Amino acid sequence: MTPAPRVSHSAMIEVRDLVKDYGAFRAVRNVSFTVAKGEVVGFLGPNGAGKSTTLRIVAGFLGATSGVVRVNGHDVVDEPLAARGSIGYMPEAAPLYPEMRVSEYLAFRAELKGVKSGERKAATRRAMDDAGLAEMERVLIGQLSKGYRQRVGIADALVASPPLLLLDEPTAGLDPNQIREVRSLIKRLRERHTVLVSTHILSEVESMCTRGVLIARGQLIAEGTLDELRALRRPRSVKLRVRASYDDAAKIALAVDGVDEASLESETGDGTTRLVVAFTDELRGEATTEALVHAFSKAAVGVLEVAPTSSLEHVFAQLTSETEVAA
Amino acid sequence: MKGFVAVLKRELLALFVTPIAWFLIACFALLEGFFFFSVLVSFAAGQDVLVGMGPAEVFFGQSIFFHLPIMLICPVLTMRTFAEERRSGTIEALLTAPVTPTAVVLGKYGATLAVYVAMWLPTVLYMVLLARFGEVDWRVIGTAYAGVFLLGAAYLSVGTLASSLTSSQLAAAVGSTIFFLVLLLAGFAGQLAGEGMLADVSSYTSVSALMSDFSRGLIDTRRLVYWGSFIIVPLFATVRTVESWRWG
Repeated sequence: MTPAPRVSHSAMIEVRDLVKDYGAFRAVRNVSFTVAKGEVVGFLGPNGAGKSTTLRIVAGFLGATSGVVRVNGHDVVDEPLAARGSIGYMPEAAPLYPEMRVSEYLAFRAELKGVKSGERKAATRRAMDDAGLAEMERVLIGQLSKGYRQRVGIADALVASPPLLLLDEPTAGLDPNQIREVRSLIKRLRERHTVLVSTHILSEVESMCTRGVLIARGQLIAEGTLDELRALRRPRSVKLRVRASYDDAAKIALAVDGVDEASLESETGDGTTRLVVAFTDELRGEATTEALVHAFSKAAVGVLEVAPTSSLEHVFAQLTSETEVAA
Repeated sequence: MKGFVAVLKRELLALFVTPIAWFLIACFALLEGFFFFSVLVSFAAGQDVLVGMGPAEVFFGQSIFFHLPIMLICPVLTMRTFAEERRSGTIEALLTAPVTPTAVVLGKYGATLAVYVAMWLPTVLYMVLLARFGEVDWRVIGTAYAGVFLLGAAYLSVGTLASSLTSSQLAAAVGSTIFFLVLLLAGFAGQLAGEGMLADVSSYTSVSALMSDFSRGLIDTRRLVYWGSFIIVPLFATVRTVESWRWG
């Protein structure tokens, strides 16, 4: 199930055979993956899949039960300070000190991360500008809205200009506008940083990342570029818009080998029909789709739209439910 | 010790930006001021109950007015240090910075110790007053303050450890207060025992014995070793506790 890790000298994160037990519960099971320098990788999985645990181990907050984690070439156990010094980590929900002002907090974090006193002011200013906090400089963190607090967490990750950013669910709990802002911020960051961002929302990965790592129940279930992940999808049905009545269209569709049923979605009134054709075997979905289009054109029925019903969301749902069955 | 100064500064800010440090310093100043006043009044009235002791010795001596405030204030100073960070989750950001657990523990501890010292500073004025109107042996005053420092440093060390063992500030404060109370009462009990092993143990280890020596200018190296380890051992245990969270 787990693909062999691609060992690379330009790896920013290298995770090999990672296992983490909480007592008798195995939260992470033999997970291996790498993140190359300059990549923006989405770390995907349903809630409770082991995403946060894995990120905490990479960030050096938790120790692994077994396995090797290297960040920027430094082993997190043997050279913890060098490894942590390469990371800007934003923990889930970005916990902060409410009694500090935004600029005070960031200056403290910069000092803690070893930014020299002469450069601290500039580093704090840059992080606030990048995270869109310029007007909030003097505001007490306790008085900030959730969206702004999240930004302070991101600014904290940025303040020492680390080569790697680890962001744990940076958009969780935000409203749609704030989500858009955080996503566009992350897109801008990929010019200067390698980013590993965890989320349980697939569209997030599609909008920000170059690659995805999927885990469920502590196991790695897929890893690859977005196209590679999409290729994993196995449509259970296809949506069609054809120039025929529903009865005629259904008759043609049901005659095709591999079609289970054809249900009406809507008759559009302009002589075309939208229908959903379900497959008997999802593994042969693509071949069935091809045969279906062929059958319509042979019957001289115009095909206006063909849309596979599975998005990346479906890949996700399929792969994660399969692991549940296997586990 | 990377990060020590940063943590120390932040902790001081957290103590002084919220009313807690000011409140404690004010309460302490009021209480000790009142105590000093009553000591002076009783000496002025010639009530020489404690034979052979000057006002400074009474002030730093075995009185409950000396022990009780420290015993109550130290746990309040230290209760936040780790418990609050764990409750709110900020500990994660702190420990994933490139700093050692030792630097974090010492930074936090150092800040509480600084407040403790600030708390005692006004009492130096009392001694200056005494020196103006009577004779004062500054060396004895010096050892008395050394005792004050040792005692506070030990209390704060135990309090810091208590704070690292729970994510409830209240539990940390109550736990360490009870511990100090037991320590104090065990000392008194030892004095009651008169002679024998219990009395011997108590005379070396008790809180009151420490101050009765130091307030009279006596420095016993055995006490230095004992109270020195009372500072170091809990701090060391705190560092270990912080490290152990990695394996939780």
